[in-house]
Parts: sequence; structure tokens; C-alpha cells
Amino acid sequence: MIIISPYSKALKSGKENPKNYPYWEEVLKGIKEPVIQIGVTGEKQICEDFRENLSFDELKALLKECRTWIGCDSFFQHLAWSEGKRGIVIFSRSDPKIFGHPENVNLLKSREFLTPYQFIWWEEQEYVKDAFIDPNEVIKALELF
Amino acid sequence: MDSVLCSIGTRGRYDTTLPLALAAIINQTKKPDKVIIFDDNDNPRDVREELIYKNLFKMMDIKNIEWEWVFAQKKGTHWNHQTANIMPYKWVWRMDDDCIPEPNVLRTLLSYAIRKDAGAVGGSILTPPLPSPFKATGKIENINNEPNIQWGLIAKEQQVEHLHCSFVYRAGIHDYNIGLSRVAHREETLFSYGLHQKEYKLYVIPEAITWHLKNPEGGIRSETDESMYVHDEQIFANFMQYKDHTIVVLNCGLGDHIVFSKILPEIKNPLIFTCYPDIVPGHPIAYAEKGFGSIDQWNIYLKMSQWGWKGSLESAFRKMYL
Repeated sequence: MIIISPYSKALKSGKENPKNYPYWEEVLKGIKEPVIQIGVTGEKQICEDFRENLSFDELKALLKECRTWIGCDSFFQHLAWSEGKRGIVIFSRSDPKIFGHPENVNLLKSREFLTPYQFIWWEEQEYVKDAFIDPNEVIKALELF
Repeated sequence: MDSVLCSIGTRGRYDTTLPLALAAIINQTKKPDKVIIFDDNDNPRDVREELIYKNLFKMMDIKNIEWEWVFAQKKGTHWNHQTANIMPYKWVWRMDDDCIPEPNVLRTLLSYAIRKDAGAVGGSILTPPLPSPFKATGKIENINNEPNIQWGLIAKEQQVEHLHCSFVYRAGIHDYNIGLSRVAHREETLFSYGLHQKEYKLYVIPEAITWHLKNPEGGIRSETDESMYVHDEQIFANFMQYKDHTIVVLNCGLGDHIVFSKILPEIKNPLIFTCYPDIVPGHPIAYAEKGFGSIDQWNIYLKMSQWGWKGSLESAFRKMYL
């Protein structure tokens, strides 16, 4: 079983969070094992099995059960790292050298897309769809696990 | 030689001691690279084209001392010093607008500051007439029971835990507490003691005399509202009460708390304020703001930005707390 954590925290402005990966549907088509989506109420459901608003203990238990996980740059990558479960993190404008963990597979299309302002609120950052890696690269990374 | 910024705040002393202080800075045997003057007057006056000031600034130009006149935010001297503290200089020489350093002061202070472990160096800050000789430990626990060692002639080098008024310090290591009131009571004590807590050494040294003319007219702390002193004294008292703790303020995101939790076991005697007590147990953030003034000094993202940070979030927390 694979966990996916598709979305980073919703922005107060209602704008798309620049960390949110736009090609989840394509990625899901390439995964040949059960997938559980985790997230909070209000986020778009992209898997049949969507578990909303799980507690930290429930998330930790799920992490124990899964083979691995895929997520964007959100709290979940830190929780999984803290639990010792390796996974795949899809970056775009935030820098994996700062916010990633070397234990994970950190996928970044190009450092050219990194914002020069890594430490200001993400509300103020522009969403750049081109900054995200091709979904086939995500599938390839998953197959290597 | 490392770069040196001279920072001087002024209020109500355009026509009294400020020109004397600037002239004394110009006449140092070791020149600062830049002089920044923070004009904190309630009704600022642009003096840059007035005869005395025009000539003083021309002298700086001739002596290759860069200068800048900043119309400040009128929030107090601590705001101005903090602005200087994060400017790109290795050392800051903090001055007052009624302080007249003798010509050798900056050179002498820097001769001690180049020590690897030095966080700040101060000399004598004398107001005529001189007091009778006294002994002082310079320890923070004695601050209310002894005169400040810098108020008298300093016979020999001594390590202390806090400094007064004017001194040279290593920039960007510790923040001024901008949560203090405009009077900024105890600002330099909190600042210099913060350097000491970060394990930098503070020295008072002989043969570096600054004359403090203590002009009762004006002054960067010229406030009469007693409540400002009470507010600042309470913040100081809180820092003293918890001086043996490492104050941790996690005013940041959920993921940041998780990353921080990895280094928590290594932190000595932590006193924690947290946004996510289920991840990192502690007191509410609002308590930290109420008790310690500004919590900017613990804002990990602000610090990473100021440090030009390229390393990991975990190593940034390590730099801040370990």
C-alpha cells in the first residue's frame, strides 16, 4: 500500500499553494498497488480511499503499514521522516536542500524554479506549474523503491 | 581588517552634544568603515545641509568614512541598534549622542575584539566628576547591587557578563529585544548578556575612555512615562528568572515542530513555547510574547533569512538552540 499526501496547507488567500503538485491523476494511473490518500476536509479527493483529518497517532499507524509514500513539501514528509519511513517528496519552488531530508527521494525538476525567497510566507509566492517534475519521473522513482 | 559600522541614535541633541560625538568619531585613530545616524527625534530636522553638520560630513567624505543619516521609526534606540546589528558588517561600535570617545577608543576596543571568542568589548564610560574607586564583578546577578564597572576607570582587562552604553560587538549574533518600550530600559544589558549566554566573551578593558556628558536635555531615552520602565523591567526580570534555561519559541509551522523535536533532547533545560503542543509540549506562544517582549529572536524563518541560510532546517534549529 502507498500513501499519498497530495496537498500542502491551504492558503488563507484561497490561491493554489505553490507546493501542490498538478499531475496526481497521471501519477495515480501508474501506481499498481493500493493507494490511500490522506488530507483534510475541503481538499480534492483523488483516490477512492480518502482518509480525512486523521490524528497523528492514526497517521503514524498508517505509515507503519505502508510500503512507502509520496507527497509534496508539507508537514507529512517531516512526520514520515520522524517515523523513519522513507518516501518520495515532489518539490517545486521550495528548496529540498533546506526543507527536504536526505533519507527521502527528493524530486526537483530544476533549481532554476526555486524561489529566491525561501523564508517568506507561501501566500506571497507565485504558483508555477512548469516547476513540477513529469509524472513519469515520479513513477520511475516509485518503482526503484 | 574586519569591517566596522558605527551606529549612533539621536534625539533632542542636534544643537548640543551630537556634533561633538560625530567629531570624536571622525577623529578616531582607527576609522569605522561607516557611520550610521538614526534620527529618532519626534520632530526631525534635516541638518545635513546645516553648516556644522555639512562640514562634519565633508570631513567624513575626505577621510573615506561612509555615512548615512536615517530618519528612524521613533520606536526607540533598540530598534535602531537592531537595524545596525543586521547590516553586513563584522563589528558594530554602538555610540550615544552624548558620548565623546577619546581618539584611541575604537582602535583599542578592536585590538581585543579580534580574539576568536570575543562577543563584545567596552571601555570606561566616564561622567565628570569621577566616582571614588570601586570594585565590581560585572556579573548579571549583581546588577542591582553594584555600580557598573564601566562607570569608573578600568585598571585591567576583566571578563564580565553585561555591558553598558557604548561598546564594540560582533554583529548578527544576538538580537536586540524590540519588544521593549520606546525608552528601551535595560536594552544594552539584555543584548550584551545575550551574547554572553551564547558563550561569547565580554571584556571591559583599560585605556579606552569615552566621556559621557549626560546632557539632561533630550536623549534617546527621554520618556517620562513610568509604565514604560515598569514594562521593560518586567521583561528583564523574566529573562533573569529563566536565565538558566534555554528559551525555545516555536512560532512556526507543524512540519517545523516535527523537525525541531529531533534536536529537543540535546537542548539544555528548555523552557518551551509552542504552537503545536501535541508535537512539542510547552506553553502557549502568547505567554512568550507577554513575558519576553519581542519573539523575533526565535523566529526560525527570519533568522534563516538573515543568515542567508543554505543548509537544512534541522541544522538551522541547531544553530539557534545548541
